[in-house]
Amino acid sequence: MTTEPQIRDPLEIERSEEARLRTAAGLPPVARSGEFAGFESVGLPDRPPQTDREREVYTLDEGEMLVNMGPQHPATHGVMRLVIKVRGEIVVDIDPVLGYLHRGIEKLCENATYTTVMTYVDPMDYLSAMHNEHAPAIAFEKLYGIKAPRRAEYIRALVVELNRVFSHGLMMGFQALDMGGLTPILMSFINRDEVVDLLSAISGQRMLFNFFRVGGVNFDVNDEFISRLSTWRAGVLKNVEMNERILTDNEIFRGRTIGMGVLSGKEAISLGVTGPSLRASGVPFDVRKAHPYCIYPELEFDVITQPGGDVYSRYLQRVAELKQSIHLIDQIVDKMPHGPVQAQVPGIIRPRPGRAYAAVESPRGLYSVYAISDGGPNPYRFRMRDPSFISLQAIPKLMPGRLIADTMAVMASFDPVMGGVDK
Amino acid sequence: MTIEGDQNVPVLWRLRDDAELGFWFLADAAAVDYGVGEHLEVVYHLYSDRHPSWLRVRARVDRSNPHLPTITGLWEGATFHEREMYDMMGIVFDGNRDLRRIFMSPDYRSFPQRKDFLLPDDASDSPAAGVNPLERPETWDLARLEGER
Repeated sequence: MTTEPQIRDPLEIERSEEARLRTAAGLPPVARSGEFAGFESVGLPDRPPQTDREREVYTLDEGEMLVNMGPQHPATHGVMRLVIKVRGEIVVDIDPVLGYLHRGIEKLCENATYTTVMTYVDPMDYLSAMHNEHAPAIAFEKLYGIKAPRRAEYIRALVVELNRVFSHGLMMGFQALDMGGLTPILMSFINRDEVVDLLSAISGQRMLFNFFRVGGVNFDVNDEFISRLSTWRAGVLKNVEMNERILTDNEIFRGRTIGMGVLSGKEAISLGVTGPSLRASGVPFDVRKAHPYCIYPELEFDVITQPGGDVYSRYLQRVAELKQSIHLIDQIVDKMPHGPVQAQVPGIIRPRPGRAYAAVESPRGLYSVYAISDGGPNPYRFRMRDPSFISLQAIPKLMPGRLIADTMAVMASFDPVMGGVDK
Repeated sequence: MTIEGDQNVPVLWRLRDDAELGFWFLADAAAVDYGVGEHLEVVYHLYSDRHPSWLRVRARVDRSNPHLPTITGLWEGATFHEREMYDMMGIVFDGNRDLRRIFMSPDYRSFPQRKDFLLPDDASDSPAAGVNPLERPETWDLARLEGER
């Protein structure tokens, strides 16, 4: 007599095995389909959801699970946690969780004098420290009613463009690094080191420059610096071009970035994405042209745009702007006038009550400061709008339907810096 | 430009979509606290190609009942701005689908950028020493945590 072979549903075996393993590992049982899954699966104490959106992210359908990427993940460019809802390898939804680096710089600045604010804003977006100082310097000068001397304005433009060169150079390297290419980041850091040597020669610091003052800059540039600058200028494109040779025509790089994370111009405006990422979506908005500050009306440059709006366009945009910055540096050095670099200001600045708004084009987009004075020695309200904080909102829009591995490529293409995001 | 708080959506809508005004870009949205007994303010900065300057729209919010309609329907990117304003100043934007804390942890109960929230360094020697930071327990369900204590 033959026994009938027992046929079992393979999925059921998997499920019972999964349940056994979860019990053995002390994990909570899998939530039923369409039910709020709770926060225990991402390692947090459970609590009710606070908003509709939170309920939506943490509600799992059949075959979906929640994965933490971060906070200590190398590709999140700092301490940020992405809660990713995945179905297999496919991303269904993303919820960025911020605040791991929050220092309350706005509040600290409201308790500091106008001069010491400059030291607090440096470590915000640490890859564009010069731009971070530029916006408050302009805002405080508007409040106090003084103007920086012309030579100081030229030196300001020089240092912010130098800063932009290394920031965009690093983005090229990080874009490749996050997709698994190790060589470009080494070239980028050689490039960055050369620029940082120049900036430390002028400001005395390598990373947090503390160079801008209300009504001028801290130090003048001398002939030795200008000659060092021209030596650097002669060789600067070497590393950049080597990176370009590795990446721009690389078939793997192109295959993974073209058509990836396409952000239309309309979406980008609605989401508040600014800077190179917005221009890569074809919107010619550059604060240096749109609302000129410093000496930018006197310099000749065009707003570069790319039609694509994908990761590759954002990469090309950074490369093009890097080269544009080098041409701007040439113009600035040619036109630099002589004269003082610091206007006469008292040690403790007490502007008249009033409001001032100043925006600059940082390597990541529109960086702006809104300062209110009540007549005292410290700003009554000091507000900073950081571009990478706002740009992060694009990532949950772009990722659904893509692979987990592409999350990093898209993240890197927006070039966020968590020091700026978390303030 | 100063407006009442509940007028923010129609005013900004007009500014954005009127052909002559054309303020298509929301540059910044910030909250300002004018202190106890005064009011809060939400400040929008807009940009238009046709005008040489930034437009500042200041919407007044009552401090005891800090509610304001959301503008996420006009600019989706205002979500993070509004989350930050809620987190730091405690302004509730009605209609925002994702109004939870963004920098502070979800069980935090004060609004650190209000003027009656003092830094620890200053709190001991200020005239307001011993004043508790403002707490609004209704902002999320703390009943469970209370029960555990």
